[in-house]
Amino acid sequence: MSIVLDQVTKRYQDQPVVNDVSIDVGEGEFFVLLGPSGSGKSTLLRAIAGLTGIDHGRISLHGRDVTHVRARDRGVGLVFQNYALFRHMTVADNIEFALRVRRMKRADRVARRKELLKLVALEDLDERLPGQLSGGQQQRVAVARALAHKPQVLLLDEPFGALDAKIREELRRTIRAVQRELGITTVLVTHDQEEAFALADIIGVMNHGRLLEVGHPHDLYAQPATRFVATFLGAANLLLARQSVDGIRFGATPVTAQGAERLHVGREHEVVAVLRPEEVEVAEAREQLSSDYIARGAVEDVAFTGALERLRVRLLDEPSAAQLLGAGAPGEARLEITRTQPERRELPLRAGAQVALGARRLHILPTPISSFLACAPTEAEAEVLAREPLLESLSTRMKTRVGLRAIDGLEGTPEPFAGVAAISAGDNAAATVEWLLENGAGEVLVLPRQAPSPTRVYIHWADEAVRRATLAVSASLLRHVSAEAVYLGIFPEGGPAAGRAVPMRKLLDARSEAQSVHGLEMRTELAIGEAVSEITRNLSAASAQMLVLGITDINEAGTAYRSLLAAQPGWPVLIVYRPQESRISPEIAA
Amino acid sequence: MRMVGQREPNVIPGFGITLGFTTFFLCAIVLIPLAALVLKAGGMEWERFVGVITSPRAIASYKLSFGASLLAASVNMIFGFVIAWTLVRYDFPGRKIIDAIIDMPFALPTAVSGIALTAVFAANGWIGQYLEPLGIKVAFTWIGITVALTLIGMPFVVRTVQPAIQEVQRDLEDAAETLGAGRFYVFRRIIVPTVLPALLTGFTLAFARAVGEYGSVIFIAGNLPMKTEITPLLIVIRLEEFDYAGAAALGVVMLAISFVMLLAINLLQVWGRKRLMVSR
Repeated sequence: MSIVLDQVTKRYQDQPVVNDVSIDVGEGEFFVLLGPSGSGKSTLLRAIAGLTGIDHGRISLHGRDVTHVRARDRGVGLVFQNYALFRHMTVADNIEFALRVRRMKRADRVARRKELLKLVALEDLDERLPGQLSGGQQQRVAVARALAHKPQVLLLDEPFGALDAKIREELRRTIRAVQRELGITTVLVTHDQEEAFALADIIGVMNHGRLLEVGHPHDLYAQPATRFVATFLGAANLLLARQSVDGIRFGATPVTAQGAERLHVGREHEVVAVLRPEEVEVAEAREQLSSDYIARGAVEDVAFTGALERLRVRLLDEPSAAQLLGAGAPGEARLEITRTQPERRELPLRAGAQVALGARRLHILPTPISSFLACAPTEAEAEVLAREPLLESLSTRMKTRVGLRAIDGLEGTPEPFAGVAAISAGDNAAATVEWLLENGAGEVLVLPRQAPSPTRVYIHWADEAVRRATLAVSASLLRHVSAEAVYLGIFPEGGPAAGRAVPMRKLLDARSEAQSVHGLEMRTELAIGEAVSEITRNLSAASAQMLVLGITDINEAGTAYRSLLAAQPGWPVLIVYRPQESRISPEIAA
Repeated sequence: MRMVGQREPNVIPGFGITLGFTTFFLCAIVLIPLAALVLKAGGMEWERFVGVITSPRAIASYKLSFGASLLAASVNMIFGFVIAWTLVRYDFPGRKIIDAIIDMPFALPTAVSGIALTAVFAANGWIGQYLEPLGIKVAFTWIGITVALTLIGMPFVVRTVQPAIQEVQRDLEDAAETLGAGRFYVFRRIIVPTVLPALLTGFTLAFARAVGEYGSVIFIAGNLPMKTEITPLLIVIRLEEFDYAGAAALGVVMLAISFVMLLAINLLQVWGRKRLMVSR
């Protein structure tokens, strides 16, 4: 491995900007770190270069631990977005800078410089000043300068950001060619997914300081594991569907679309399906579709973009059809469709036309949190609950919806609950949780009033049987809040005389499972004593903390853990319930 | 058809008007008074003129005036850079206040600073009483004059260098560091060349100001002929003796030396800029 990052964390004013990131970059690989601005990707790159210290973790380059090595001794080449050329020096002096520092002989310096200028296709510009060059040329000089001292690793921080589209394309090809020719391990940071696809052997997607997914460009595009990656890597329509052993159902319409892989066995539950705009088939009537029908729609907008035509289609006859997730109120989400020119010629469409829509390929996200359902005695109270800051920010960040449900009386057999049910903390909370779990809910979020976004999330399960589900839900939650994850292992006092070997192994197992299966970096804390008092002690230790609690027994919520659900002092508690028998069935795999 | 003589519209009225105004303004408040000075001195016979400007007392005053001014400007160049660097690069409590204090010498009547410095540096003053046993006399010596000139010149250096330091991007230092350069190397090869033009400008301003300074110096100098008498003071003495021509003659000498020195510094700056641009 050429670059190894092991649980790297960087905090600014106690906020983690890079949160437990582990990456292995192979020899000669072109690795692209992709993420929106503020996702921590540039900070991570600076940490690899040694320009920013890290608070936790280790960094090694080519097997050498460089965590505490100064930038100038790390042997990396760094290219900046604004070129950062020395403006009072000629191109030649800029390129030779690293060689002069190393007191290389003049003849060798000149030879190396000529070689580099040829590599970046800038011969005979040696005596120019940076101010006399175009932006693209300046960036080529910067690349040559960064390569002068034969670094083991080349780091590029948004190198094309300040250039216009055409130059960008050209420079992109040059950099790719140089990288291949030298076989140098390269990390590039960008927010542009097109650039990432064009350059990367491997892409790592970051958001809120966390590394969400790493993979080959095609795999990440076709089979993302998270909503964020699905929507950040190209356009994606997110649809709510219900999955059971029989397949996937949009409202009343069963779909067995190709590529709609089965991930989960167990009771019917809600899932999030990804439908790429180019995988939507459009026809005049349902019978003419060659793929699986999903809904009828009305064309709202047709835009010509050259090679492709973009359609925005409003889904008709909800709720029997698919439910779209997106920004804004449920009714406002639109299906994005792109069609090639041959497709367009076959069925020309104008705004207002009614069409039948089919899905050629669907991908089901393995995320256990599909949507939220605010539950309260009356619809009005549910609406107030839905506007709780924590719930609102979670649903926005997860790009999902918050449904409303009046549950007055907790009686009868209601329509099964889907998604994460949210209720208010208080004296009735325990009873409500029990009732919801009995009626199909798998996760319940208990919210005190005006709870802040957590900075630390404690994870605890009462039984090893829910470990997997609890970790999956926690990982899904933690991808969307920049908080630290802490697993709280609690073992009763007076355990086996053999000491703490068994609890310790459980802790380590939990941690390695979180990392390998869910990509979740989690601290572990071991406590000896009674579970509820230990949890309470930890939650009270600081403000803005939250608990994810896994249980297998419905009654536990109302008995053992009752005090955690009270309004005062009140912490957000996300209860994950899996009945005991699910021990045999394989849980959601990430 | 193209209109001949029509220029790009500009917010400020055309070139003709602005140039005319510039010339008029320069003439009215700079050139004419200077010409009058030269004329006044020209009214003397040549021998007397030479006699006045080469008298030992006058020559001693030139040495003191220009020597102390150069020394003060040099001190300011170094410490002004350090102050400007600290103010730009670090954020610390009280930074705003220090930033404001820098301008104080601009606003203070120079006589006030002179009195204050004398009080502090006199043999029984706050600082002077500790320097006295060490054999260092500040007040009423050339050291005191240099201290006064340093005080009044300091804001010029700080204020001209500050924006230049702001322009040295952190990225440049980071780039140099990843290329293997140590701190001192970065300072010498990256920071100094970038800031040097502004630093020279600041030096020039501080020097020019020091040469013309009068108010603050006369209090701390002690004004002993041949020892601690600066040229501007000598001019005032001549005026008090109603020897207008003699005063004008000394004025012309100051004018000439200042002009030559400023011109030299400017040429140095141009040369330096060129050399830095194509450094080998």
